[in-house]
Amino acid sequence: MIHIENLSHVYPASRKTPARTAIDKLNLSVEEGQFCILSGPNGSGKSTLFRILCGMAYPSAGSVRIGGHDLLKDPAKARAQMGVVFQSPAVDKHLSVAENLKLHADLYGLSGRDLYERKDEALGWTDLLDRQNDKVITLSGGLARQVELAKCLLTRPRLLLLDEPTTGLDPASRRNFVDALHKIQRGRRMTVLMTSHIFSEAEDADRVAIMKDGKLLANDSPQALRGQLGREMVVVQSRNAEALEARIRSELGLAARRHGDEIRLEETDNGDSLPILEKLLAAYRADIDSIAIKQPALEDVFIHLTGKTAGEVEQTGEAA
Amino acid sequence: MIGVAFALARREFVRFMRQPQRVVGTVAQPILFWLFLGSGFNASFRAPGMEGVSYLEYFYPGVMLMMMLFASIFSSITIIEDRDAGFLQSVLVAPVSRMAIVLGKVFGGVAIAMVQTLIFTIAAPFLGLHLGLGSLVFLVMAYILSSIGFAAMGFFFAWSMRSSAGFHAIMMVFLMPLWMLSGALFPIENAPMWLHAVMSVNPVAHALVLMRGPFYMQPAQMLADSRWLLALGVTLLWSGGFLLASMARVEKRERGAAIS
Repeated sequence: MIHIENLSHVYPASRKTPARTAIDKLNLSVEEGQFCILSGPNGSGKSTLFRILCGMAYPSAGSVRIGGHDLLKDPAKARAQMGVVFQSPAVDKHLSVAENLKLHADLYGLSGRDLYERKDEALGWTDLLDRQNDKVITLSGGLARQVELAKCLLTRPRLLLLDEPTTGLDPASRRNFVDALHKIQRGRRMTVLMTSHIFSEAEDADRVAIMKDGKLLANDSPQALRGQLGREMVVVQSRNAEALEARIRSELGLAARRHGDEIRLEETDNGDSLPILEKLLAAYRADIDSIAIKQPALEDVFIHLTGKTAGEVEQTGEAA
Repeated sequence: MIGVAFALARREFVRFMRQPQRVVGTVAQPILFWLFLGSGFNASFRAPGMEGVSYLEYFYPGVMLMMMLFASIFSSITIIEDRDAGFLQSVLVAPVSRMAIVLGKVFGGVAIAMVQTLIFTIAAPFLGLHLGLGSLVFLVMAYILSSIGFAAMGFFFAWSMRSSAGFHAIMMVFLMPLWMLSGALFPIENAPMWLHAVMSVNPVAHALVLMRGPFYMQPAQMLADSRWLLALGVTLLWSGGFLLASMARVEKRERGAAIS
């Protein structure tokens, strides 16, 4: 559905800043019907990639094909197949739910009976049926997001692009939104590409692609990605993590990686973890604040690949 | 294309009508200007060749132009708001022509200006200005044409602005002076030489001539009047020019730099 080849994007230099490469010879494919999560630390180029995919930016080099159409040479055909949900709300808050849907339909040339049928289909899964005449500004964050998605579904897209759609939602609304999205994706056999760095959202995806510095670091199923880290790991918290890491490496000969105050021993086979934990406690009890055995989650894969913790990802503001 | 532009313009209009403060403000403000300035200057206004014309009457078409200016400013500010809030991006990714995006905003601004100016036209008979049906048609045409020009001009400047504060600066140093030096406040003929020169090249001055015409001339007279015809030509030119320039701006997309 999406075939990206050798894509590069360089932001032109200005008086104050030098030219910056946001995407560097990227290759990425998303097959028809897949649910793909695109993740990466801030500044990894995923926002730029998103802007190129939805046609708002024109890349420096490379090609993008969407559903068989060349996005750069024939943007109208490529864009007609996709629906886009942006991170910042793209609905008019001063209009009602129904008015927003009507306006979106007008933009895509839908009217009459066609619109009538599609409206029911687009709203069927939402909690908005009895709130269609309410202004969007009066809705909760979760409901407002439903309006965004419903509006996109009106045009029956084959490809749905979502840019961190759950930002600002509470965990329950976030779960609801992602569950609904999965259900709709399966029901309509849509292809979905969604950027996110909330890893609980990625566990149910078909593919997880991780970017850093404009390059693709990984693109695989969540199971396969977790498999890369062995099965278990030992995580140590320490105040003198730096010194401790060096000692573990030299004195015990174990492969330790440090991320801030945390030391991870990732390449451990099943059953090895407990002896390692005991060994560490015996040798460095005074330096250890806490120690645990952890089953790797996607978040751990992310940390392993990008060298950043999720905390760091959340803290730094995303450059638009 | 027109359907999309109409849908976008309807949104502008609905939003305007849902903000009662904005409606009251935009209708009341020019009327207050007109009543206060008009009455205040009435006694001291002696324009050569305009004996018998009170300042209230002189300033009347100028206030119409002011309404268009303000309608254009407000609708241009909504461009910046739309970009800020995120609404604009959904329009930009939709398969709609760039012309429809410009016309949607411009028609929205024009519709708002039309409501105001048409209401204000009711005051004409009380000034002793009598409009025949033919003149009324010409007047409405002049309204539409001039407010398209103002709205397109506002669009052109607001499109690349990222903050409404920046747009206020443009408005104060560029849009407002265009109106002040159009002959709306005082006749060109009386102005000192340098000001006269500036005013004669101001395209907006022609919009005022276009609007003043129907109050004093019959349609046939206007069509035979070279000044009025010149004003029509110039107004068509700058309105159309800013429309085209705005479309070119919307067409321009962010591009990656070439890789060396």
